[in-house]
Amino acid sequence: MKKENKGSLLHWIPNALLMVFSFTCIFPAIWLFYSSLKEKAEFYHSPIALPQHPSFQHYIDILTKSNFITWLGNSIRNSGLALFFILLFGFIIGYFLSRYRFRGRNMLYGYFLLGMLVPVHALMVPMYVLFTKAGLTDNWFTLVLPYTALGLPISVFLVESYVKSMPIEVEEAAAIDGSSRYRTIFSIILPMCVPILVTIGIIQFFYVWNEFTFSLILIDSEKWMTVPVGITLFKGQFSTDFPKMMTAMLLAIFPAMLLYFIFSKQIIKGMVAGAVKG
Amino acid sequence: MKTCLKMKKSSIFLCMLPGLLWYSFIILIPVILAGYYGFFDWSGGAKKTFVGLQNFIEVMKDPVFRKSLFNNIYLTVVCLIGQIGIAFILAFLLSGRHIKLKGFHRVMSYFPAVLSAVVVGFIWSLIYDYNYGLLNSFLTFIGMGDKVQAWLNNDKLVLPLVAIPLIWQYIGYYMIIIMSALASVDSEIFEMAEIDGASGWKKAVYITLPLIKNTLIVCVTLCIAGNMKIFDLIYSLTNGGPGYSSSVMAMYAYKTSFLSFKMGYGSAMSIVILIVSLILVGGSRSLLLRFTGGEEI
Repeated sequence: MKKENKGSLLHWIPNALLMVFSFTCIFPAIWLFYSSLKEKAEFYHSPIALPQHPSFQHYIDILTKSNFITWLGNSIRNSGLALFFILLFGFIIGYFLSRYRFRGRNMLYGYFLLGMLVPVHALMVPMYVLFTKAGLTDNWFTLVLPYTALGLPISVFLVESYVKSMPIEVEEAAAIDGSSRYRTIFSIILPMCVPILVTIGIIQFFYVWNEFTFSLILIDSEKWMTVPVGITLFKGQFSTDFPKMMTAMLLAIFPAMLLYFIFSKQIIKGMVAGAVKG
Repeated sequence: MKTCLKMKKSSIFLCMLPGLLWYSFIILIPVILAGYYGFFDWSGGAKKTFVGLQNFIEVMKDPVFRKSLFNNIYLTVVCLIGQIGIAFILAFLLSGRHIKLKGFHRVMSYFPAVLSAVVVGFIWSLIYDYNYGLLNSFLTFIGMGDKVQAWLNNDKLVLPLVAIPLIWQYIGYYMIIIMSALASVDSEIFEMAEIDGASGWKKAVYITLPLIKNTLIVCVTLCIAGNMKIFDLIYSLTNGGPGYSSSVMAMYAYKTSFLSFKMGYGSAMSIVILIVSLILVGGSRSLLLRFTGGEEI
């Protein structure tokens, strides 16, 4: 009897610890949500209490009276375009680096490896100078340029090692059946690479969606801003209206949050695989 | 490779060219430019004065830059202990047999890692807020109202306070990585250890730790590289203040270049950041590999 008690207590402690930790992870999001339904005065009266008269007024205000929707559109467009180019170039370069041994192949591979080691913030100032000189700042396509380039190394590596593990006989058989090289690559190999491309897409989506630095320095006008930089403007505007600011933050994390809770299994798997291999 | 798959070298190169050019334009050219502008006294306008190595020497001597570098290193060390240490303990707990809701814990603990660091910074600035912050409300609630203060204005406490959200955000990330390594360890090893009488923590230290050594090295490298580039969270949480007490290298480079318009100096600083980061990331990695006798992964 005594032993059993001790056993259940021993099992109870780790369960409780994990529960506390899981709770702290999600609590800020919950706090943002129920606080966003409060009036200013109600929040200042007690920041932690649940709302007495929940209202969606802050949501309506932010969605109709600010540029939030514009920023959301910009973030979506940037993510879409950057992901498309990252996957396209990453696939092509990764494929050729994997299948062909030509002179300079290892140098090229190392060149992409180096790109992963360069800390992005060391590029902040020089990239600003380059973009200003070339007249590329503050435009709809501006941010797609760095996001694509910065996403390429990991994409190239993951595709390279994935293609390496695929049997070359498939391609030989296709060639014997008369398929041209390009057709084989795009209509046979590309579909076979979908799993790894999905992984790359997941990793890069969260990177691009949350990216802040380049968005901050390369974009000036509000109409091309992305969500993370846009909401920093609210900090000045709503510095006295916490619930409204919290509404903006919740809206900012909402798309990523939604995706995460729907596809959490694939996302966790993909991001970890990318981290460990990269 | 069979002849049927042969391709002309020129066509291979042509296929890779667009991506290669794009990549070089963003990564290579800015680094070269930074190296070049680092030699000038330049505020972004037409007037540039060649000053030789002076900018680079000044960066090394600059007390604010040193302070920022120190802060980067401080945060890295704290995060190594906090993130990977706690992650290891939690991963170990979570892999226990009597844990319920495993899937739930995985999903919840990883959640902060997908949030934007700017928003995380904002959330924590609300938690630390003097008038309406959760921390002060909580202290008042438990009757420790005398401890209430403007947390982020305390230059002695600000750095640990910045480290907390940083650690919090990525515990789940490292936990999941460590758990995937644990899952690949043969469970018979643990059963044998149990039969031999190894207790919980002994199992963790003497059996689990050595078995997942390579994964831990990956985690350490990721953690150091990650902490070299902290910027977003500091920007929204403290903006480097009070004064420069929570400034990091990227923050200082940003302020010198975009708020004080010292572009030449900022370029020189970028090159120094690049070199420092490469040394710290590369150095720690090869040290670890030598120290633990791990294999190159």
